Amino acid sequence: MKRYNIRIAGVGGQGVVTSAHILGNAMSAAGKYATLVPFFGSEKRMAPVEAYVRASDAPIYEVGEVVYPNVIMIYHPQVITHGKSYTMPFYSGLKENGIVIINTEVDILTDEDKKVLEDLNTQVIMYNATGLALEIAGTELATNMAMIGFFFGITKLVDFEHIERAVKERFLGNTFVASGGTASLDSAIEKKFKRKVELLEKNMQVIRNAFKIVEEMGWTEEKQPAGT
Amino acid sequence: MPEQKVVDTDYLLLEAPRERKFITGAQAMAEAVKRANVDMAIAYPITPQSEVMHLVGDLYAQGYLKDYYRAEEEYGTMSAIAGASRAGVRVFTATSGPGLLRGIEAIASWPGHRVPAVLGVLTRVVNAPLSIQPDNIELAYLLHSGIVLLHAENQQDVFDMTLAAFAISEMVDVYIPVAVATEGFFVTHAKGYVEMTPEDMKLPARDPYKAPVPVTDCEVPPARIQRDAPVQKSNFMSYLIHAVWQQEVWASNMRAMKYINKYLGGPIEVVNPEADVFVVASGCAAAQGREAVRYAQQEGLNVGLVKIKSIRPFPAKEVKEALKNAKAVIIPEHNIEGWLSKEVKAAIPNSGIVTDGPRVYGGMTLPVELIMEEIYKALGVKGKQRVVI
Amino acid sequence: MGLKYIQPAPGFKEYLPKDYVDLIDFGPFGKEIDVQYMGQYKEILEEHPMCAGCWMAYFVRVFYAALPNPEDTIVLGTAGCARLALSQAAVPFIYGNYGDTNAVASGLTRALNLRFPDKTKDVVAIAGDGGLMDIGFSMTLHSWFRREKFTTIMVDNEVYGNTGGQESGMSPKGVQLKMAPKGKKFDKIPATELAKLAGCVYVVKLAPTNVKRMAKVIKRAVLAARHFGPTFIHAYTSCNIEYSIPTEEVLKDAREREKKDFGFEEYMTDEVKEFFEEIEKKKEVKK
Repeated sequence: MKRYNIRIAGVGGQGVVTSAHILGNAMSAAGKYATLVPFFGSEKRMAPVEAYVRASDAPIYEVGEVVYPNVIMIYHPQVITHGKSYTMPFYSGLKENGIVIINTEVDILTDEDKKVLEDLNTQVIMYNATGLALEIAGTELATNMAMIGFFFGITKLVDFEHIERAVKERFLGNTFVASGGTASLDSAIEKKFKRKVELLEKNMQVIRNAFKIVEEMGWTEEKQPAGT
Repeated sequence: MPEQKVVDTDYLLLEAPRERKFITGAQAMAEAVKRANVDMAIAYPITPQSEVMHLVGDLYAQGYLKDYYRAEEEYGTMSAIAGASRAGVRVFTATSGPGLLRGIEAIASWPGHRVPAVLGVLTRVVNAPLSIQPDNIELAYLLHSGIVLLHAENQQDVFDMTLAAFAISEMVDVYIPVAVATEGFFVTHAKGYVEMTPEDMKLPARDPYKAPVPVTDCEVPPARIQRDAPVQKSNFMSYLIHAVWQQEVWASNMRAMKYINKYLGGPIEVVNPEADVFVVASGCAAAQGREAVRYAQQEGLNVGLVKIKSIRPFPAKEVKEALKNAKAVIIPEHNIEGWLSKEVKAAIPNSGIVTDGPRVYGGMTLPVELIMEEIYKALGVKGKQRVVI
Repeated sequence: MGLKYIQPAPGFKEYLPKDYVDLIDFGPFGKEIDVQYMGQYKEILEEHPMCAGCWMAYFVRVFYAALPNPEDTIVLGTAGCARLALSQAAVPFIYGNYGDTNAVASGLTRALNLRFPDKTKDVVAIAGDGGLMDIGFSMTLHSWFRREKFTTIMVDNEVYGNTGGQESGMSPKGVQLKMAPKGKKFDKIPATELAKLAGCVYVVKLAPTNVKRMAKVIKRAVLAARHFGPTFIHAYTSCNIEYSIPTEEVLKDAREREKKDFGFEEYMTDEVKEFFEEIEKKKEVKK
């Protein structure tokens, strides 16, 4: 039994909670297990947002925020640089041999951060996911898709079709209960893309590309020995 | 809305086929309401409960319920629930933390008024300072009200307990309200697998004349109905009427145990009954305990779980029996005061073996790692967790 | 239902208390007895523990005599003087909690409507000034805003009588009472104005000086609530104890207040007016 306790940190409007639902639903589609807890504070654009997902091939009992994660995903560099986070520093609680994926154009970690992560034998990935989203989907709102792509690309927990089913359920199904704010954001995206199906396809394209990048970069769950 | 057929209560609760869905705790509660042949629901918003009554409102719009409205505030809600139940219909409402306390004057009088009703309690911090997070101190206020109080660990429990609550509440030898509590957000807004009975089956309707006290509908004799006796006539009448009435309320509460055994598999669940160390917990602390027991077993430690499903009636006898050979008892809780710990200590002869905690409050999460620490301490094992805090 | 439910099964009558049998044989159930015959039949309210000379007790007695369908009426009350009498009447009575009458009545009325859509079930909440305008204020107003179909009657004695004479929101400005040791600082709450604003379809303000008129408006309030929406009667029912009104002068006091600030006022919507005119026309045809 391998358990992934994931903490996702980003800012309001990036689809942090949405992507947690997609992560969970993709696990469910693959016949595996996931639980998720969105952190509900005041939900505002550019304000800190956190969501937590537990994923495993065995049933999960535990609930609540993930205080001791082994996967941390940072959707916005300001989470680290501006301290836009409920959890400071961003790696607090991180267990040994974990994975940290950060969406950033440049290396934003201090030497001190790096030392801590090194001591915990952390696999640290920094990549411009927003750049990828803009390039493929033409909108930074698909950043969350790129991040989901990285996570599943690395862990190989589910197949691409399971992710597709989860994304479809989110954008085309009616089982997801969105907040009013999320619904209005959706309609803004819709206008931009004209059609929901097109939106879905663009999202999937971003995830497909993220998978490719994972392969090209040779990212795996195990930390690469130094020098490779 | 599918055509729903009425099926026998025992059949629906015990035998009907079940289908697995991945849904939130709020959805699980609403799905139970959908199958419970509820006549009327009254809603008032408070986070994190609102989600439940939104979904119940949707059920009303679809035709599953006959009446539904948003009330003025919780005291008005709980009072109107009493009024509707007295008139003989099946009712449902839900609330959270401060809302529960605002409504508690009315709620605490429901058992004495002998109104069957089902109340969802989706826990939340009681001010101050304000927080919307799932502390469950509010349940302490319900312990002395006479209401039957069930505490759900997860989405499945929420469904099962809510559906059973309608049946239990209207049993002639019970006939008092039943509250189904679970932690806000952790359960209400999180998804889990729920095995559900078919959507096209529902409980039999409430029979208002199958009751130990008459409904107030001007349909049954005698003409002079005064369920609320004028107890102020004299001091002695006042003592006597109140005393015998409340004795009967609490006896009714105890009689609910029979149906908790029948429909919910008993008031407690024991995992690894031969263990040396037990985690005793209710609500979603039991989920954390269950995870801790699994980790402990993977590490070769002999640890068990006693999950308490029914807080009122409290299963003192069953808890005492389950813990008779325990060397240590760990009671994790989501409140500062430790109401469950007090109940357990009062139920066993050797309360010195109880560790009061770990407790988290303010609604924060209860990491399994904290329970593991207590397990290591109880067994004299040195923990080897390495995390940055 | 009508009378059926109070009629004892054959053979049982002789074992029932005389009080009950008299109610069936000589009570008002199923009959339309004019209020002027009070005292000549078995009334719904006979004994009560209220103070000698209490004008509220008089009003409550008239209220029961005036009910259009006492056998199908449920009365709700709350803490206060009135409920001491209400709870001893031969009509189902609900005593809930403090100031909750209009919330309980909302649930009750809707539920009765669900169960008996084709039957007449009248619901009347009678509470004092404290119950309706202080502690239960929001529930009173909101039941009106929601247009709940039941009657609200405020028996206004301008004081918390049952708890020993404290100021209420309906006490007149300046009057010195317990909890207002330097006199009340603000005016009586304009209850009937609020009722009209909040959507009551029939609103009356009165001092109990004219028994026929009282009976007429009570009937009207119940009938209008049955068909159209919330109705409200604000009745001055003095507290002769806390306001030191000599027992033999309570009627005189009511007449004085009627001249001063409790003049008879009757408001109704056009719809309700038409409805009453229709009823009266039918009555004339019958004659």
